[in-house]
Amino acid sequence: MTAEVFPGGGLFQRGASAFAASVPVDPADDGFFGPGSVTWRMHADLSAPVSGLRSLLLQALHPLAMAGVDQHSQWRADPAGRFASTAAYVLTTTYGDRAAARAAADRVRRIHQRVRGTDPVTGRPYAADDPDLLIWVHAAQVDSGLAAAERYGAEFSDADRDGYVAEMTAAAELVGVPPGRAPASVAALDAYFDAVRPELTLSPGAADTAGYLTEMPAIEPELTDIWQAVAAAAIAALPGWARDLYGWPDAVAPDRTEVRQVLGVLDALYLGEPGVLEGRQRLAVRMRAAESAR
Amino acid sequence: MSEPLLRVSRGLAAVRLAARGGARYAANAPRLFARAGEQRQQLRDDLALRTAQDVADTLGTMKGVLMKIGQLASYVDDGLAPPARRVLGRLQDSVPPMSPELAAGVIAAELGDVPENVFSEWDPLPIAAASIGQVHRAITRDGRAVAVKVQYPGIAETIAADLGNVGLLRSLLRMAVPSQDVTELIDELRERVGEELDYLREADNQRQFAAYFDGHPTITVPKIVDELSTARVITSELATGARYAEMLGWSQPEKDLAAETIYRFTFRSLYELHAFNGDPHPGNYLFEPGGQVTFLDFGLVKHFTPSELDPLIEMIKTLCIGGDPEAFRRAMEDAGFLAPGAPIGTDQVVDHMALFYDSISTRGPKTMTSAYASAVARRYLDFKSPLAAYAKIPRSYVILQRINLGLFAILGEMNATANWRAISEEIWPFVAAPPSTPMGEAEAGWHAAAGAAR
Repeated sequence: MTAEVFPGGGLFQRGASAFAASVPVDPADDGFFGPGSVTWRMHADLSAPVSGLRSLLLQALHPLAMAGVDQHSQWRADPAGRFASTAAYVLTTTYGDRAAARAAADRVRRIHQRVRGTDPVTGRPYAADDPDLLIWVHAAQVDSGLAAAERYGAEFSDADRDGYVAEMTAAAELVGVPPGRAPASVAALDAYFDAVRPELTLSPGAADTAGYLTEMPAIEPELTDIWQAVAAAAIAALPGWARDLYGWPDAVAPDRTEVRQVLGVLDALYLGEPGVLEGRQRLAVRMRAAESAR
Repeated sequence: MSEPLLRVSRGLAAVRLAARGGARYAANAPRLFARAGEQRQQLRDDLALRTAQDVADTLGTMKGVLMKIGQLASYVDDGLAPPARRVLGRLQDSVPPMSPELAAGVIAAELGDVPENVFSEWDPLPIAAASIGQVHRAITRDGRAVAVKVQYPGIAETIAADLGNVGLLRSLLRMAVPSQDVTELIDELRERVGEELDYLREADNQRQFAAYFDGHPTITVPKIVDELSTARVITSELATGARYAEMLGWSQPEKDLAAETIYRFTFRSLYELHAFNGDPHPGNYLFEPGGQVTFLDFGLVKHFTPSELDPLIEMIKTLCIGGDPEAFRRAMEDAGFLAPGAPIGTDQVVDHMALFYDSISTRGPKTMTSAYASAVARRYLDFKSPLAAYAKIPRSYVILQRINLGLFAILGEMNATANWRAISEEIWPFVAAPPSTPMGEAEAGWHAAAGAAR
């Protein structure tokens, strides 16, 4: 999926277009998660922008993943388009029917086949379809959903949190992680991070990327300050070791209520974008139907 | 929130952002909503707010406050830019009604029993949305048809918490209404929203208006049913009549009569009750032929002290009656509208302000038009005028801009013709002229009695 799919202004507006386009009108089935899943709730949570940013900040700390992005993606030429595409991918695999989710995953797999090279930092070869790298990206995303929701989102029980990690293995498998390898519980996810931590480092690419992500010149100028609040929240939600790697050990965690208020403003503006309210309502109707069927 | 975390000060902003979306809207409108009407209503019912948590999710995290800012901005400014209006409109659309069970729960909590037992009949489907609640029809046990306004549970606490975030409010107001004194607006916003959340106060206001206009030949204010009204529920007589849009299709003489009633209501309230219903919204009127108008919703009433009202009276006296520009200027300065000693000629001040008094500056029939209403709004917002740097709307008068921007817009849309000056002279306490129209004649008996009662 390329940037032209979501034409228009900056990150915010293209993200909204991606959302409107990714929530199906007439789905053939409930997709890989379904309206009763924790994943549907988690990905619609108010904390999602914090989760998304934390996820990218975390993912950048793996030098091979970072090298793959730096050497093969055009993201610096069109950051807003790249982010919108990533958002569309997550939303389509979450809320789309199975055919739409598979088609989106197949596109990503085809792109991944071409992403190979040597990491200038470690000198190690990499391939984007290497299951280890796919698991890293997946685990960082799932962990970020949990961390952002815990600090700034709705209440998710321990069972919900385990359920989310388990459900999301389906997303990992879609993009090519062999069945059984993605962490399937919160404990397994924590163990995975303990194991992978020695491989992580702040490469020049990661430092540069993090600077870009927290400044976010691709966002609409009028939203810059709101983004600063989101960035402060995302940084506070990172694991302590990740903040240490970035050199942000003293980041002060912003107040939950105040972050939620900023996220609420962002959400209100988002609802003003074409198709967003309707997309939300389509999802809400299905989630309610699933709830009352239980 | 510390200010550095969020210091949005880039002007109109969020607003420009939304503008870019507009053109694409039609193409993107999802199919689910192509079939409007009933299905849309069905969808709203499917999404009904079922719990206090649903209310908090929908109207918390600043969303309810944003709607209130939108309402406030619509009377301090020329409304909002269309894109901002769209954002706020969508926000309003995003609030579904309460489920019958949730509304019944509020009734039970407030009135001590489920609606079926409190009332002899209760319509579980709301007939109208209020900004922080909804309206149900019912019949009391003694047989009166009533409208019952039910507040969303938990909304008062939710909005109070969000209004505490002054740093964020400041940023939002700077985006929404960059031309205004933000500190005064925040005070105004908190005060007004606090009042609006307080149904006891709203009921008191409505009682006051209802008592004053009791017996008026053309003005009706539904009476409050005291024993069925609390801090979160207001029960009043059920009013009937044509909606504003329907009335616009009536003959011009009928529209003129309706306009005269609205005009008399506004200025009788201001000069005699010292109160102004700050929400001259077309949705708050119900019309019957013969100039009969029922006024609904007293959630946004501003009460004036004599010292607040006196400068306004002085301005009318000096400009429209006495023709004394220097005295007019002094009155403006006394009221705080104009900085004392501004290096602006008094003739310029008068030139600038005269438009606002155009409908009452001379006797004789005048037709209100949308063009006049727009000209007033444009003049009001003319920040390039030499006066702008020295002019200001003191907080007590902010709400009165609804006269310039709301009332004139409505009368203009009705294309109403009347001798507004003559009607004003009847109402102005410093003139108290005899009736100038048949409606004025009809009012005389009521007015004598109302005066005696006060």
